[in-house]
Amino acid sequence: MSVQVSLTVNGVERSAAVEERRTLADFLREELGLTGTHLGCEHGICGSCTVIVDGVSARSCLMLAVQADGAEVTTIEGLLEGGELGVLQQACRDSHAFQCGYCTPGFLMTATELLSENPNPTESEVREAISGNLCRCTGYESIVQAILLAAERGA
Amino acid sequence: MSAPAAARFVGTSVRRVEDDRILSGRGRYIDDIRLPRMLHGVFLRSSIPHGRLTGVDLDAARGLDGVVAIITAAELEGVAHPLSTRPDVPDVARPVFTVLASDRVRHVGDPIALILAETRHQAEDARDAIVVDYEPLETVASIEQAEDPARPSLFDDTDSNLLYTEATDYGDPDGAFAGARVVRASFAPARVAHVPMECRGGVADHHPGTGELVYYATTQSPHALKLGLSGVLSQPAEKLRVITPDVGGAFGQKAMLNREDIVVCAASKLAGRPVKWVEDRIENMTAATHARSETVEIAAAIDDDGAILALDVNLKIDVGAYPALPFPPSFLGPIVRTMVTGPYRIEHLRWANTVFQTNKASYGTYRGPWAIESLVREVLIDRIAYELGLDPVEVRRRNLVRMDEQPRKMATGPTLEGVMALETLERASELIDQDSFRREQADARAQGKLLGLGFATYIEPAPGPPDFMSSVGMQLPDERAVARLEIDGHLTVITAQAPHGQSHETTLAQVAASEFGVPLEHVRVVHGDTQQTPFSIIGTGGSRAATMASGAALHATRAVKDKVLEMAGNMLEISPGDLEIVDAVVMPKGDAERGIPLAQIAMAAYFMGVEGEDDGLRSTAIYHQPPGGWSGGTHACIVEVDPQTGVVEIKRYVVVEDCGELIHPAIVEGQIRGGIAQGIGIALLENALYDEEANFLAGTFMDYLVPTSMEIPTIEIEHLHSEPLAEVNYRGVGEGGTIAAPPVIVNAVADALGGASIGVVPMTPEYVLALVDEAGI
Repeated sequence: MSVQVSLTVNGVERSAAVEERRTLADFLREELGLTGTHLGCEHGICGSCTVIVDGVSARSCLMLAVQADGAEVTTIEGLLEGGELGVLQQACRDSHAFQCGYCTPGFLMTATELLSENPNPTESEVREAISGNLCRCTGYESIVQAILLAAERGA
Repeated sequence: MSAPAAARFVGTSVRRVEDDRILSGRGRYIDDIRLPRMLHGVFLRSSIPHGRLTGVDLDAARGLDGVVAIITAAELEGVAHPLSTRPDVPDVARPVFTVLASDRVRHVGDPIALILAETRHQAEDARDAIVVDYEPLETVASIEQAEDPARPSLFDDTDSNLLYTEATDYGDPDGAFAGARVVRASFAPARVAHVPMECRGGVADHHPGTGELVYYATTQSPHALKLGLSGVLSQPAEKLRVITPDVGGAFGQKAMLNREDIVVCAASKLAGRPVKWVEDRIENMTAATHARSETVEIAAAIDDDGAILALDVNLKIDVGAYPALPFPPSFLGPIVRTMVTGPYRIEHLRWANTVFQTNKASYGTYRGPWAIESLVREVLIDRIAYELGLDPVEVRRRNLVRMDEQPRKMATGPTLEGVMALETLERASELIDQDSFRREQADARAQGKLLGLGFATYIEPAPGPPDFMSSVGMQLPDERAVARLEIDGHLTVITAQAPHGQSHETTLAQVAASEFGVPLEHVRVVHGDTQQTPFSIIGTGGSRAATMASGAALHATRAVKDKVLEMAGNMLEISPGDLEIVDAVVMPKGDAERGIPLAQIAMAAYFMGVEGEDDGLRSTAIYHQPPGGWSGGTHACIVEVDPQTGVVEIKRYVVVEDCGELIHPAIVEGQIRGGIAQGIGIALLENALYDEEANFLAGTFMDYLVPTSMEIPTIEIEHLHSEPLAEVNYRGVGEGGTIAAPPVIVNAVADALGGASIGVVPMTPEYVLALVDEAGI
């Protein structure tokens, strides 16, 4: 069974007929070609697939595309500012936050939510905020530093 | 005098080349590849650990929407040859097995069939419609059970589940142990999983018209994968190309010729269409590789001053049901053997190693594969200290090989040279301020708080000295790289590495740009395409890149630079030795006025040709392993053990290490911290658990605990630098963190509990509470 859904993704209105069981993650990646969102576990723990839905972070692997009908969704591709890396992304680059890059979209979206709610987080607030995202490469310190740097730069 | 041009990028944490694409969501990982006419493949896997396959009913599945084909062992006959350990590996049992299970399944997750459908959903629906009948067989779920002759052998062509036995003496262990004081320890770490955030996968594209097979693969060893696929599929090497897109972590897991790789490539041949396979997390946890599935008993002969005279080590390894090809089951033991005396003055070793097969997933090389040697040795050294009433630092100090004693052969063969183990120990001890800590510890104890301090000193072959691999009993080739001057004067460096997080696109560009005298943006590093890259049987692994790939890139670049200078010398009528390249301009030294842009020379070379050259300006360099080759150091950490909950919190973690000159400090420290995070997982959290009947119990991240930002502390790092032994003085740091973190945390927890005897990791709260009880706290 297909259902018609309409939503705004990174500021662009999109509508498509999707299978009811299709996850938001698969919809973004396969229907819209937004492959920046990654699937790391498909059971809601690793956080790689995190996107922002109506201002709140969501695991796009646990959410159906039909549930996003009418929503505003932001993915990692939506963090670019005028085609250039945004403030948070630049801070990640300058702090050498990531290595393999696979968990990266999830951390960026989680940090985006954190900084929108708490523009000047402490280190322990950052650690807590990203504790639902798994990174296997870095040991997290560089990611924490990047988010603190982004806050300092007013992300 | 200004610094030489060569120093401009090396040593600086320049912006990573990889970051622009990764941070903007434009990386290209395996699941991002979509080819025309592409089918989706999903594996049907065994749900039981051991049994006869008595029936696989595909009828219902075949009739479902979108299903194109179902590949079983029968379809692969004549397409993919059966597998076994290479015949040239001595003294090892080598059972033969089919690529897909045919008559018998041997672990939960053993692949039985590949379902091909137009969409992944359709393939998964079809998989779930297949009915499999099994006749369960008695299982082999542990080393003890594998040693039991009453249990069945996993294969009809092996008499027992023992695959390999080795016993070797170095020096005179019998003499050393005779009459000596003996201290013992044993260790049984849990199986762990590598857990790259991106699971394994591949896209096979066999072209029915040309017979060419292109395989896009999540691999760290593209040439080894190509070699393996070529043999198993009888695919001519010139018509087989392995390409690695961005790879989302590997840690050793993606160094294998996976059975799935073979099936996916065969399926593309059979179906005449591209086939994509991307495993999900449960498959990755269940059916990809695990590691650290070992038990070890160790004894030290010591004198009353704490000098370690000899070690006696008995290592047993559980490699699971199938060898993780191309690695034979006998691969790991000899590396552990070679490393176990570490940077210590231990002259005698009695060594025994046995390897067993069990109904579990394959054992795959994992970051610091031999790490059990440092774990047991460092824990044993603390045990010696307790036994003698000495400070664990003092016991290490008395036994570590000093700089003035080097070069010196380890008992097991390799030469220790440039190893600053003792210096790193002293500095770590200083940084952690042991005297103040002991006062703090006593005060805390008075308030019912349990603090502990641990140390661990280690070395890692990164890549090791020239006599390292021969001591292990293996041969490794030299490393190759190609440098090519492009028509606009930019430089392409083609490396044999296959990075997956190590940032070689940045570090090798730093090395090449510094040597060549061009901006960093003028160098592009190409990797991961067997049609372009020089052969390497390893690719990225074994902490070799810092020395070997840098050395190869440096020499290839230098050779191109020499040709450029020769051409420019002719144009300027000046000796090449009096020329330099600064910011992509070739000029007489210090005379920018007379400079010629590199682009102009490159253009001339391409259009006019270069004498003696047929292809513009390119050079292949072969870099030989230089002396030294050891990275290493000392880790120290302070923990607090909560006697009520059994939770261990890391309060402070200090690393003092020497990996030579740092090409890119932030990347080096990222490797160290990331390695430690995995070591902390091993020490405190991770367990790829099977039950007594070999059922797998850790298929999700709710069962298998990967450390988060809440468990990994801030890690303080200090670098020491020994005198360079070769021009290329960069050494690897990929594995040390994972090697040193488990023993340092075990030692700290033991210290918190007044010298508790610990023989298990992870130290779960339950286990720690039992230790607290035992210690009478």
